[in-house]
Amino acid sequence: MITAGNRSALGTLAWWLIRAQFRSRRAATLLSMLAIGLGVALGYAIHLINDAALADFARAMKSVQGDPDAVIAARDSAGSVPLADINQLARDPAVLVVAPVIETRVRIDDSPIPVSLIGLDVFSAAAVMPQLMPRHDDRAVLDNIFAGGVYASPTLLERLGLRPGDALTLVRGEQRWRTTISGDLPATHPDEQLLVADIAWVQQRFGPAEAVSEGRVRLAPDADLSTWRTTLAQRLPAGLLIRAADDDSARLSNLSRAYRVNLNVLALVALLTGAFLVFATQLTAVAQRSTQFALLGVLGLSPRMRLLQVLLEGLAIGLPGSLLGLSLGYILAVAFTQLLGGDLGGGYFSDSAPLIVPALVPALAFLALGCLASLTGAFYPAYLNRTQALAQALTSGFSQRPAAIVASPSRLALPALLALAAFALAQLPPLFELPLAGYATIALVLAAGIASAPLLTQTMFGWLSERPLPAPQRIALQNVAQAPLMAQVAASGLIVSFALTASMVIMVSSFRVAVDHWLDHVLPAPLYLRSKATPLPQPLLDALATPDAPFARIERMATASLTLDPRRPKVALLVRELERDNPAARLPFTGPVLTPPVAMPLVWISEPMHEIYRVGAGETLRLPLLGREVDVFVGGVWRDYARQFGAVVISRDDYLSLGGDFQPTDLALWPLPGQQSVAVAWLAPPIERYGLELADSAAIRELSLSIFDKSFAVTYALEAAAMLIGLFGLAVTLAASVWLRARELATLAALGFDRRMLSTAVMLEGALIAGVGLLIGLGCGVAIGSVLTHVVNPQAFHWRMPLAIPWPMVVAGAAITLAAAVLASRYAARQATRLAVAQVLASAQ
Amino acid sequence: MRRRTFLSAPLLLPALTLAAPARAPIAYPAVGAGVRLAFPRDHGAHPDFRSEWWYVTGALDSPQADTGFQLTFFRSRPGTAEALQSPIAARQILFAHAALTVPGERLLHAERARLLHAERAARANLGAGFSIVDCDVHIGAWRMSREDRRSGELFRLQMQSPQFSYDFTLTPSQPLLLQGDGGYSRKGNGPELASYYVSWPQLQVDGTLIVDGKRQVASGRAWFDHEWSTAILDGLAVGWDWLGVNLDGGGALMAFRMRDARRATLFAHATWRDAEGRVRQFDAADVSFTPLRNWSSARSGASYPVQMEIRIGELTLRTRPVLDDQELSASRPTAVVYWEGLVHVEGSLSGRGYLEMTGYAGRLRL
Amino acid sequence: MLLLANLEKRHATAARPLFSGLALTVAAGEIVALVGESGVGKSTLLNCIAGLENADSGSIRIGPQAVDIAKLDESARAALRARNIGFVFQAFHVLPTLTVAQNIAVPLLLCGVPAKEHGRRTRALLERVGLSGFGPRWPASLSGGELQRVAIARALIHQPALILADEPTGNLDPRTAHEILALLLERVREQDVSALVVTHSQQVASCCDRILTLTPDGLS
Repeated sequence: MITAGNRSALGTLAWWLIRAQFRSRRAATLLSMLAIGLGVALGYAIHLINDAALADFARAMKSVQGDPDAVIAARDSAGSVPLADINQLARDPAVLVVAPVIETRVRIDDSPIPVSLIGLDVFSAAAVMPQLMPRHDDRAVLDNIFAGGVYASPTLLERLGLRPGDALTLVRGEQRWRTTISGDLPATHPDEQLLVADIAWVQQRFGPAEAVSEGRVRLAPDADLSTWRTTLAQRLPAGLLIRAADDDSARLSNLSRAYRVNLNVLALVALLTGAFLVFATQLTAVAQRSTQFALLGVLGLSPRMRLLQVLLEGLAIGLPGSLLGLSLGYILAVAFTQLLGGDLGGGYFSDSAPLIVPALVPALAFLALGCLASLTGAFYPAYLNRTQALAQALTSGFSQRPAAIVASPSRLALPALLALAAFALAQLPPLFELPLAGYATIALVLAAGIASAPLLTQTMFGWLSERPLPAPQRIALQNVAQAPLMAQVAASGLIVSFALTASMVIMVSSFRVAVDHWLDHVLPAPLYLRSKATPLPQPLLDALATPDAPFARIERMATASLTLDPRRPKVALLVRELERDNPAARLPFTGPVLTPPVAMPLVWISEPMHEIYRVGAGETLRLPLLGREVDVFVGGVWRDYARQFGAVVISRDDYLSLGGDFQPTDLALWPLPGQQSVAVAWLAPPIERYGLELADSAAIRELSLSIFDKSFAVTYALEAAAMLIGLFGLAVTLAASVWLRARELATLAALGFDRRMLSTAVMLEGALIAGVGLLIGLGCGVAIGSVLTHVVNPQAFHWRMPLAIPWPMVVAGAAITLAAAVLASRYAARQATRLAVAQVLASAQ
Repeated sequence: MRRRTFLSAPLLLPALTLAAPARAPIAYPAVGAGVRLAFPRDHGAHPDFRSEWWYVTGALDSPQADTGFQLTFFRSRPGTAEALQSPIAARQILFAHAALTVPGERLLHAERARLLHAERAARANLGAGFSIVDCDVHIGAWRMSREDRRSGELFRLQMQSPQFSYDFTLTPSQPLLLQGDGGYSRKGNGPELASYYVSWPQLQVDGTLIVDGKRQVASGRAWFDHEWSTAILDGLAVGWDWLGVNLDGGGALMAFRMRDARRATLFAHATWRDAEGRVRQFDAADVSFTPLRNWSSARSGASYPVQMEIRIGELTLRTRPVLDDQELSASRPTAVVYWEGLVHVEGSLSGRGYLEMTGYAGRLRL
Repeated sequence: MLLLANLEKRHATAARPLFSGLALTVAAGEIVALVGESGVGKSTLLNCIAGLENADSGSIRIGPQAVDIAKLDESARAALRARNIGFVFQAFHVLPTLTVAQNIAVPLLLCGVPAKEHGRRTRALLERVGLSGFGPRWPASLSGGELQRVAIARALIHQPALILADEPTGNLDPRTAHEILALLLERVREQDVSALVVTHSQQVASCCDRILTLTPDGLS
């Protein structure tokens, strides 16, 4: 019968015990808290950063697109929406207003940085994108927006140092528009740098004729979006697509989902290691206090309370740890966004540092997650505490019940079964477009590793301890072999942390090697020239074609993008000057290169495209090209680490014969032999004049690899944290096992072992356990590394790479960890040698 | 002439002001006497002129008596972007305005009478358009058009808004009424202040009315106006009063006056066609407007003579609004507050029509 | 009071039961010494009475309500121990991480007495066991005799019906042992509690009201 008074009395007892526990195990408790805190902090920071980055991205999108119910746009970025379609759409009774816009990028007065120019119709824009509405200024030269002035966002005005009434020239490729500033855009976001003008003026100056970029639709309040959309989609011309607001958010979340999930799994790893540390701490705490708990049980503490007490102690670690983690996570999030931007160096979002805004519900969720992790860690110790035989524990202390863990053939079955299951899971396709089965495989590999630890320990050291050896070594071996539970706890921490670290090292290294090879293949030319988002100026192209130009060879490329699915990020379309018969000279193919059986356009798709849209070489693909749907033959799949959402290469000849307009944006340049510096000097004036970018292949390569390294910065930090936690777990468990064997050690001391011998025995024991842990950890690490490389990466990022294990690095890491483990066991050994022999022997009974 | 604040107000959008044109003003055609109007061609738009409107007002008898409705399409050629070749250059701007006066429901449902309205704006060729050979003007799915059917010609009105929508056919029961001198209608004390003005009274209304999501069959009587011009407002005018009435028994009466700042009449005119089709024109000297009762708007503070005595020659008429508060506030092309609504006309003649009173909530800017 | 009837306990491996047909009554205020050779089952008997081990048959009735502990589940046994039994052990078993006063108060908490009502009772009892002012001290600073005094105070504070003492003086020097035994007996008599004292010491046994010897054949 539990009354209120009863509860409060038991609460007091629980509190006394928790306080006592914290007092006597300060370091272990604090470190467990830190570990939980670290896991929560990382997870929470990733959540905060991603949330902020997505909100920032959505806001940026909203500020240039407004908040339409749907958007009608061309599927081909080079295409446009014919006016007739806009006008027909406007007459739909379900449509309240359709706001047409022409969006283009222009350079202002030959400034190298292009800005967005949005041509809009003020009559319709007010309802859909009020934040883009211009404000006419009294100083303007022109009467109103219809007279042809432009309106600039305040930030842009400030950057350009221009005021209303000032003249400026907008340049896009060959076209120039000399106009004046008529006012500003008071409602734009402070970050936004853009220009707004009347749609007719933009069309007149920069095109497209008889068409607009897109129509943004506001539906009548009583119209049903999904029905309307379905009906419209059926009669929409092939080159157009309809995109609803939820497509935008889906696309947005698709954009970052893979990297987000991967980082979150890393956070989960930290949390799991935290849980493991709580497990180690609580298990040793239970073992050390088994007599005390037995006494309390004899005095009348109910079994339920004995279970609860250990769980409560776990929670007492988890709750402050999680709170610490939340604040740490917030600080991390702010720091990371300031340093690396919203995508943690992933390159998905703009460079601006998004604002971190913590919300209550996710914070509570992460708090709960941290508490859950510590409760999970405390559960097995709590269960052991609940089931201790009181009378026995009171007289002889914690029972490891070795009878329960005897070596038997059936014990081989569990790890073998787990390994088999892991192998089977690794074969599964992605779920919800996420490598969930891959993650499960990793968990199973770890579980199999941990499960195999006692078997290996007993077999190996049991056999070794029967060899003729000096006494300390023998004792160490016997201890390891015969106290498998503690050894397993100590070893499993190292297995988990080393396996994860090694696997990440293997994955990152494989990736880096693959990127390195790939860069060799995709950067054949010494120099690359690029214009920013606008076509390269014709005079430059003409000049390059003259014999005076110091180049042996020039290859031109035009880029565009295609929307195959409005819920997914766009696919890049690369129009290149390459030989239809020999694309392999320029593209790193992963499989066979085929030619179409009949005369039809030929494309080569990138690996991500192959994975995302499930199209392979030899198949026919329907592409929304140039305002219509074109059936093209897929001639091959090439490796691409640059465009995660897919790319299609088509030869310039095919593109032209389809009626495309080839406007090069990128050039690959081969200077005449020995004339690279001459070539660079030759290019300097046009670069200056047109705001182009020139880079040599070495610089591009260096930049690419540095971006690569930056994006794995967080991974390296986590690896270090995981290793520290693993080592600490080893130290804690070793110390605990020494404590538990105090009597035995004291007996040895009484029998004439000196301190050095005892110390050697304990350190050797630590080294042996660490050795087993590292050995299994290495095996698991290679397995997990393969899973990451061959399963997780292709499924999450849609790119494949060969496995490249950096043995020197992995072995060195193992050696350092072993050394650290020996150091950690020194700490335990010091405790062993400090035991006052007589006191231990006297007080133990 | 007419009404609607559109024509008097400069083209003013929320985000921009229209200063005095810096470049040479464009040459709009002048309105002059002696032009023979031809139909259906002159039902269509006259895009060279500065402004033009198609205007339908009416009173429904079902689903509920004394329900007033109004739909106007206004075309403006502000003189901007004239040099642009782009098909979507803002050379022709269209505005549309729709209103519905819902009288109080039956006694059991003590719902209050109310005035609903909605508006749209667009440039021609970009979600809007007009025909120059017949009446067919639209902004989005709002449309006013004339059709020839086997049974005869008719107009069709279509508009939708969250609060109310309607889809009406207007069937003529009488011939067209050319105002003034064969359609040449003077608006002030100068020959250049004039418009071409065509009316079509006593149109039979049939169709569907949706109010608050409730779809009902509607019928009633309407009045169609079509007017185009370049200049109509006297510099001294601050506003006007206008009345168009479908008289009981088949007659039609139109009267207006221009007011100055002291509410004195600057110019006035009236046309009366009786049931037998005899048309009489009345000059300013024969037309007078005398306020009988004012209603003050709590929103704008303006006071409107909602009941007026109008003398036209030997006729004496009094107006009685179905609802005092038929004050409207249009945001496009500029924010203008005016009174326009369904009134009963009693006295020498009786009937129902629309009364428009502008310039009471501040001077209309030119 | 304590009432054993027809108690039998077997070892899983041994053919002969450890004891069988055991019967014993300890009246309120009576102190019974239990002696016998090592391995004869004294501790097992004590564990059975405390409900820490299961007897194979028979009944063990404890306290004023004479509840049969053998018929209770684990939680109910714990509750019964908390209310009705006080323990004194050879190894003292004082919790090193709680102060002396907290150690003594543990049974009160287990009986559901809120902490704010402890002060007076623990102070009074500390005085009765000769440890005035020891309340805030940590067990590590106490001698063996002092620790056993703490244990005695802990055994008595919740006014149990039965005290089970297992070699209460086994770890003490003879002089201290004598003092402690005197204290225990005095307090037990004072509170009118039944007590069962397992001991090897004739000196201890002779101080009790009754001496029973456990042999493989039964109690005598």
